[in-house]
Amino acid sequence: MIETTRRHMSKITGALAVTVLAGGLLAAPARAEPVTLQWQTANLTEPQFEPVWKQMIAEFEAANPDIHIEPILVARKDDWTKFVTAAQARRAPCVVQEDLATSAYNGYLMPLDRFWATEPAAFRAAYSDDIMAAMHWKGALYGVPIWGGVFAEIYNTDMLTAAGLDAAHPPTTIAEYLDWMRKLTKPGQWGTAVLGGPTDTTTRVLLTWIWANGGEAFNADMTKATFAADPKSLEAIKTYLGLVGQGLAAPSPNTTNYLEQTVLFEQGKIAAVRSAYWAIAKMLVDNPSLAGRMTVGPVPGNGATLALLAPASIASSCKYPDQAWKFIKFQAEKKWALERARVSDWMPLRNDMMDEPEIAQDPLLQRFMQIGLQARSYPLPHPAWAEIGGVDVVKAVQRALLDPAHTEQIFRDLDALLNKKLNDL
Amino acid sequence: MSARRAWTGRGLRRERWHGYFFLAIPLLYLAGVVLLPLLEAVRSSTFRIRGLRATFVGLDNYARVLGDAAFWNALSVSFRFTAISVVLHLALGLGLAMLVAECGRTRTALRIALLTPWMVAPAIAATIWLWLLEPQFGVLNWLLRAAGLIAENRSWLGEPGLAFGAIVAVDVWRGVPFMMLLLGAGLATIPKEQYEAAAIDGAGALARFRHVTLPNLSYLLAVACTLDIINTVRQFDIVAVLTGGGPAGATEVLPALLYNTAFRGNDLGGGAAVGVLLLMIVLAFVSLYIALTGAARSDD
Repeated sequence: MIETTRRHMSKITGALAVTVLAGGLLAAPARAEPVTLQWQTANLTEPQFEPVWKQMIAEFEAANPDIHIEPILVARKDDWTKFVTAAQARRAPCVVQEDLATSAYNGYLMPLDRFWATEPAAFRAAYSDDIMAAMHWKGALYGVPIWGGVFAEIYNTDMLTAAGLDAAHPPTTIAEYLDWMRKLTKPGQWGTAVLGGPTDTTTRVLLTWIWANGGEAFNADMTKATFAADPKSLEAIKTYLGLVGQGLAAPSPNTTNYLEQTVLFEQGKIAAVRSAYWAIAKMLVDNPSLAGRMTVGPVPGNGATLALLAPASIASSCKYPDQAWKFIKFQAEKKWALERARVSDWMPLRNDMMDEPEIAQDPLLQRFMQIGLQARSYPLPHPAWAEIGGVDVVKAVQRALLDPAHTEQIFRDLDALLNKKLNDL
Repeated sequence: MSARRAWTGRGLRRERWHGYFFLAIPLLYLAGVVLLPLLEAVRSSTFRIRGLRATFVGLDNYARVLGDAAFWNALSVSFRFTAISVVLHLALGLGLAMLVAECGRTRTALRIALLTPWMVAPAIAATIWLWLLEPQFGVLNWLLRAAGLIAENRSWLGEPGLAFGAIVAVDVWRGVPFMMLLLGAGLATIPKEQYEAAAIDGAGALARFRHVTLPNLSYLLAVACTLDIINTVRQFDIVAVLTGGGPAGATEVLPALLYNTAFRGNDLGGGAAVGVLLLMIVLAFVSLYIALTGAARSDD
């Protein structure tokens, strides 16, 4: 009995040893699996950018076989919601491009100072102090500038010529601009479009009007809203929204946004759009016959305008920040900045690229860059900006468009609402 | 051991445990996908959530939401939207069901054709309507202008009254087929003899509808109405795609307010409070539904 048990025990021990050995051999792979980094930006769904980002990922993965990039494609209007939901679950994509101040304040982003500090001086010097200031929140760095877009006035030169206007000398004052809009308006055609649709593009364009008129929508430290309190701001708001009442802007402004505005321009319904450089790429993709038939002018007024800055950031929940930083640096390289400018008209933000032939020989880009010298960065640096810019200001614009007689009161109410929000953190 | 003893003794206990075991599987599933998220929503509604920071504020979010004009506007919009949509779903659904019932060979084909809008996913249907209603290039404006019914293009989604009408119209377009199907099934159960007897007594079409169809369908209509209220008051997809709640809150139903507060407004606690308040409204109608169906079972 005892002998039988002993024989069984030795068999079991032998079998266990073989199993452990085999398991050990199987558990030791030839090389480690690559780390997967998720990358989310709303721009991945834009068709003109698709070949570039695919090539960028392919080249990055070839150079870094231990890192795999998984692009997260999400519609523009759902981008923020998806990011917030994932960030709340501590599962946000590692590399993201979101509203920097709001995201950083909410704890969704990781400070990047330790990575930045170890980079060579040449890399750090590639960005101006102004641009880098917009990448900080409460003294910490949360983003690397990837691309930007300066807002300017884009005109259809055929429509200008037909109206007897000189495309080489676009209006520089608001009075001249209004005169042009009158001349460009006729049955079935309008000078421009007023944006009141439900995205923060409505707010962006409104801000260009306020700033170009010498007004301010907020005080310097963003503790007080002055949309109505600042007379220059209120004057600009009334002038801009009044374009609809005068019949100089396309009807239905409350449903007009970037997309609708560009479609109106592409189809020759409006002669001018206030938009960023990237609108030109979209319009040429949609209507190639517009090539060579567009010109760019400054924002009428004092020339002040808005520049949207798109940073690349690392989510605070990212498990592989070193690899994510590598990918961000790769995106920031000159080669990709040029590709983005070439296919999508996203302006490079590196100041060591101005002499690149692709940039120096592009007259439209040069014009935008010149206009951008007076640009102020956007989004505005406040943690509640996503809510203020995307909801509150938009609602006020919509109300004022529906009830123009009460524009002043509507923006006074907006000031009161924002004064609470700005100081309620 | 006798059969009787098996059922009252160990056998019954074993049967019971088997029952509990099989019941536990769906209960666990429901707890995972319904109860836990619900409890989390209730918990979130008592916190001021700013990103990854959360501070317990008790009922402050509810006080804030209830003190906000946007909530009362959304409640009013939801009430009007639900009332008009449900009445139209029922009226048109019943009308179509009766028409289809009168058709002979074409009945099945007609029923399938009329069901098409209901088969399309709400977000896709809304996207199609978004372009049909587009003010400059939309087909609706083109058709109305061609027919001489309007002189200028209308901004269907840009003016408060028109935008509200548009979301109701699209919801009705999508909701009527299901009601037609439901009430059509009810119509099929009404004995033909009742109509024949009414006809012999000289009842016209209207009298037959009033004294035969409606009394026979009254219970089904009450149940369908309650279910439709529950469905319609939670409507989000169509509003989100067509208007996002705009212009200036004119179409901001409670689910749209919830979304706008939580995500566009970055106020997850406030959004959760709106969600819990919406849940209470839905629960009130669910209770009504249970009471109605429970009463019917008692009658049986």
